Amino acid sequence: MLDTTSVSPRALLARRKPGFSLEQAFYTSQEIFDLDLEAIFFRTWIYVGVEPDVPDEGDVMVVDIGRASVLILRDDDGEIRAFHNVCRHRGARIVHDEKSSVGKLVCKYHAWTYDLDGKLLRAEHMGADFDTSCHGLKPVHLKSVEGLLFICLADEAPADIDDLAEKMGPYLKPHAIRDTKVAHQVDLIELGNWKITMENNRECYHCAGNHPELTIPLFEYGFGFSPESMDETKAKEAHRYECMVDDLHGEWEGSGFPSKEIDHLDDRVTGFRTQRLPIDRAGESQTLDTKVASTKLLGELTEAKMGGLSFWTQPNSWHHFMSDHIVTFSVIPLSPDRTLLRTKWLVHKDAVEGVDYDLKRLTEVWIATNDQDGTLVGYQHSGVKSPAYEPGPYSPYTEGLVEKFVNWYCLRLADHLG
Amino acid sequence: MTDATAHLARHLADLQTWDSEADDTLVCTAVVDETHDVRTFVFEPPEPRRFAYRPGQFLTFEFALPSGPVNRCYTISSSPLRPHTVAITVKRVPNGPVSNWLHDHCAPGTAVKAIGPMGEFSCLDDPAPKYLFLSGGSGITPLMAMSRAFADLGRPVDVVFVHAARTPGDIVFRAELDLIARRLPGFRVAHLPERAGGEAGWAGPLGRLSAEFLALVAPDFKERSVWCCGPEPFMNAARSLLGALGHDPRLYHQESFDFAKLASAEPEVAAEVLDAEAAEAAAVPTYDVTFTKLGQTVKVRADQFILAAARDQGVRLAASCTEGLCGTCKAKIVSGTVDMSHKGGIRKKEVDQGLFLPCCSKPKSDLVVDR
Repeated sequence: MLDTTSVSPRALLARRKPGFSLEQAFYTSQEIFDLDLEAIFFRTWIYVGVEPDVPDEGDVMVVDIGRASVLILRDDDGEIRAFHNVCRHRGARIVHDEKSSVGKLVCKYHAWTYDLDGKLLRAEHMGADFDTSCHGLKPVHLKSVEGLLFICLADEAPADIDDLAEKMGPYLKPHAIRDTKVAHQVDLIELGNWKITMENNRECYHCAGNHPELTIPLFEYGFGFSPESMDETKAKEAHRYECMVDDLHGEWEGSGFPSKEIDHLDDRVTGFRTQRLPIDRAGESQTLDTKVASTKLLGELTEAKMGGLSFWTQPNSWHHFMSDHIVTFSVIPLSPDRTLLRTKWLVHKDAVEGVDYDLKRLTEVWIATNDQDGTLVGYQHSGVKSPAYEPGPYSPYTEGLVEKFVNWYCLRLADHLG
Repeated sequence: MTDATAHLARHLADLQTWDSEADDTLVCTAVVDETHDVRTFVFEPPEPRRFAYRPGQFLTFEFALPSGPVNRCYTISSSPLRPHTVAITVKRVPNGPVSNWLHDHCAPGTAVKAIGPMGEFSCLDDPAPKYLFLSGGSGITPLMAMSRAFADLGRPVDVVFVHAARTPGDIVFRAELDLIARRLPGFRVAHLPERAGGEAGWAGPLGRLSAEFLALVAPDFKERSVWCCGPEPFMNAARSLLGALGHDPRLYHQESFDFAKLASAEPEVAAEVLDAEAAEAAAVPTYDVTFTKLGQTVKVRADQFILAAARDQGVRLAASCTEGLCGTCKAKIVSGTVDMSHKGGIRKKEVDQGLFLPCCSKPKSDLVVDR
């Protein structure tokens, strides 16, 4: 095996070849994994969940990112707040379950009691001179983009999240995330580096060969293709898809649903991309029969055939917004070779399971697709560890967004290293 | 004749004196708003009778609250020279079961039980040429009864009537006291609000009872027989101020519902009150509260908090704030019901799941707790 630790991350970055996958150390070294947490996950905006994760006052969600643990809660005024999950007494973690409801936040250790605005209310035996006001929970930056929750662990959070929120607002609003509920959540641990999980997500080169379920609703051409490598049937398909995008975008935009591509994946700190993509066949939803999985459409939507609005953010999320449901994904690194992929399926908050939607129909496409992707990530990671691995070239046609992800990552790392 | 006139005619017939041993029922005839939170309730017997009492005496009532009968003493605020009715004047106390019941449910026609009159806080029992009445809040009632009695006779008196209140809006009988002062020679009134409150144009003094205030309203206070009634801190402050200024303690009287005094003065009445209280205590049921994990069962009265009662009986339960704030003692009810009054330490959602806080809950039945 190559000695990856002998080359500094700065030097590795400097010799990175654009258009190629990263050198082995980026995927396997503990040092670079630690650097990824510091430079990326503790500095940029991280997608962690949705407002309906904490639907009522007193609901708390815990999200662990590396050595940080964050409480996301809805306070008594209905406001969502984020705090470090660390007691100001001797540092014990306060909340341990991923989801819970509390009256106040009480550290189990010595019962220090905090209000939901983070203020320390009560600490017994600390004496008359003890100033509770200096020992409130430490806040974490939180931004809700139309109900999608982003946190930033840095002291100073990148300000361009506001611009993202402004640009994405009109795209996301019709799907009324705040009026949904989490119908299902799956936590999948993929046996690969988090960047491999992200790279896999940023292309559909592998779709036709691996995702029989997903490619029923999803066109593989939505993420680029090489015209000369296609036979006549495929070329016709691709042409049909391009015409369809033009027609539907005109139609959707005309009726007030922004659909056109916005791509800022690697030209800003808070990178993102969006586009409303057509859905094949019945055209309604990412299901096996491409019809809606939930008969209660989201928000004010009255038309089922709204395609699938895709929204990607750097470094760790992607989302599909359909007329009837939303599938939202967040990626959290666990170790150099283990990554948590957290998938949530959202339906209208009033939709009743078994009446308005069938959970199996709602989730089967992405459960199958995630499993297939998890396997592929494992394949790549185990191969990347091999002494034979060397960075390989990305397809200029189908892997442009992978290159943008890797480029963004390298820019952020370089910025951090100074 | 109208009903009111017929009623008046019946009262003007030759009447017997009301005797609580023969008839302990009184019927409310009127409710009068005195201030935003003080009301006067006027009562007469079912059959017209005359009330005989000394101004400053009280009645012991038994009110039929939904939770069961409750006994309370209230000083008569009306004048004994208008003997056909008696009135009590009651301030609504936050969470006070009796004052709230009176304010919300006692209306013309409501029957209550009463015994008495009794009590020794009356200027008749210690006559003096000059008086200083010191009243605080709803402690005004016995002094008002005395003042009204003087006013009904109309002969000159020497009374300085001081009434301390939170704000001018809280002065009870304000207009009537001013009227008495205008009509009765030698009767002077000094209202003493702590702060102007909603009455920005208040022209009188503000603050608390002080040497300066006394020098202003009653420079001869040392010669005056002082009659003081109000909340305990008010009376304590008045007594020590007067003492410090050299007022003769033999000239100082304060109202006290000291039960020992009542027992020595009116042993039969005291026995009756004690019986009523014992019956009230006996009426509070006791329930078995079982903690399944600890394998212990304790007896908890319906008016006790479960955590405190369990701890008294040696059951160690994890808890911290003991006032329904922190939620440390949160536990699941396996069976039974409780009456809980928490301070945000538990969510409705959790209550719906059967959780409760033993520190601020009283049992309403036998209880099994998963602890």
